[in-house]
Amino acid sequence: MPPDDVTNAVDEYCNRLWKALHKLPGSERDEIVREVRGHILERLDAEPKVTEQVLTEILRAVGDPKELASEYKGYAVLRQATHSRSPWVLLRAMLRWAATSVVGVMAFLATVIGYGCGTVFFLSAFLKPMFPSRIGLWLAPQHTLCFGYWNGQLSGTVLYGISVRPPAFVLGTLGPTDGPVRELLGAWLSPVGVLCGVLCFLGTSLVARSLIKRFSQNEKWAASFSYAKSSASPSLQSLR
Amino acid sequence: MIHSMARHNTSKPPSDSWEAQLRKGSLEMAILASLWKSNHYGLEILHALDGRSSLALAEGTLYLILNRLKNDGFVESKWVDAGTGHPRKYYWLTEEGRERLRAMVRFWIQFSADLNVLLEPVIARKERVNAAR
Repeated sequence: MPPDDVTNAVDEYCNRLWKALHKLPGSERDEIVREVRGHILERLDAEPKVTEQVLTEILRAVGDPKELASEYKGYAVLRQATHSRSPWVLLRAMLRWAATSVVGVMAFLATVIGYGCGTVFFLSAFLKPMFPSRIGLWLAPQHTLCFGYWNGQLSGTVLYGISVRPPAFVLGTLGPTDGPVRELLGAWLSPVGVLCGVLCFLGTSLVARSLIKRFSQNEKWAASFSYAKSSASPSLQSLR
Repeated sequence: MIHSMARHNTSKPPSDSWEAQLRKGSLEMAILASLWKSNHYGLEILHALDGRSSLALAEGTLYLILNRLKNDGFVESKWVDAGTGHPRKYYWLTEEGRERLRAMVRFWIQFSADLNVLLEPVIARKERVNAAR
């Protein structure tokens, strides 16, 4: 195989890998591609004669650029999440985890609920001065306690927000009820809402991060399922 | 029919998934162990592992594991011009990596000894069957 064709094929492979790694920082991408390129060139150097078949087998053994990049990106998300308090970063890591296991799905849902509650607290605190008679901490019939929005009707009362009606806890709305509705916090709702929102976001981030750290050992192995060479991949010895 | 299904199941090889999980769990230890005596670059590590087929791994992902081990502080690396026309990235164990490997090996020895005690009757039966043939 002409050397130029070999060089072109290796360059093309490396370009595909570089493009597939697009979410990683530039220096990290360069380092990964440089190392993989070096590996391919080492493998080619070890061959007495480089034919098209040998080159194809070497590239196949290194792995599909997209799959390889996906593993790197998965690890980057996990690594970032174990050092971050950002809801966005943690939710992305949780979503990846959720795609691989039932525990991950449960952890993701718990995280969404945690951040959801925080959002309701913040929104209520922000909206209270604008809609004082609609936003509050409401005590409704059937021992319903709701932090959020009341539709203002005593018949067919509907409450939206964080609702507790023992034994139910709902982020959203419970079924309509009839009867008296009383607001408990008044003007205190805004500071209480901000405080609860901050606690919700910090607490959820803390729990999510510790869950990711605790389970990341397993997840690393889950992400690295392809570490185990498939029987279809050629061994180094078969190419020697 | 039930009988034939049972016979079919007993003749099946161990689950691929189980073997893969076992390999994956041991891979980090194997890579650290391959660096115990001296510094190596990626292809040398692969050769060390590939000589033992049960430890063989997809080539591209070796660098991901090395990257992870480096982030965990267990290995260090450096580009070296090897005079081959392209530089090689050499890896070596840090003191933390050596300590980690020692701890893994201690656990592994205890773990395999405990497992061997349990497996002894199974192995002994197999040997008896082979001897009878």
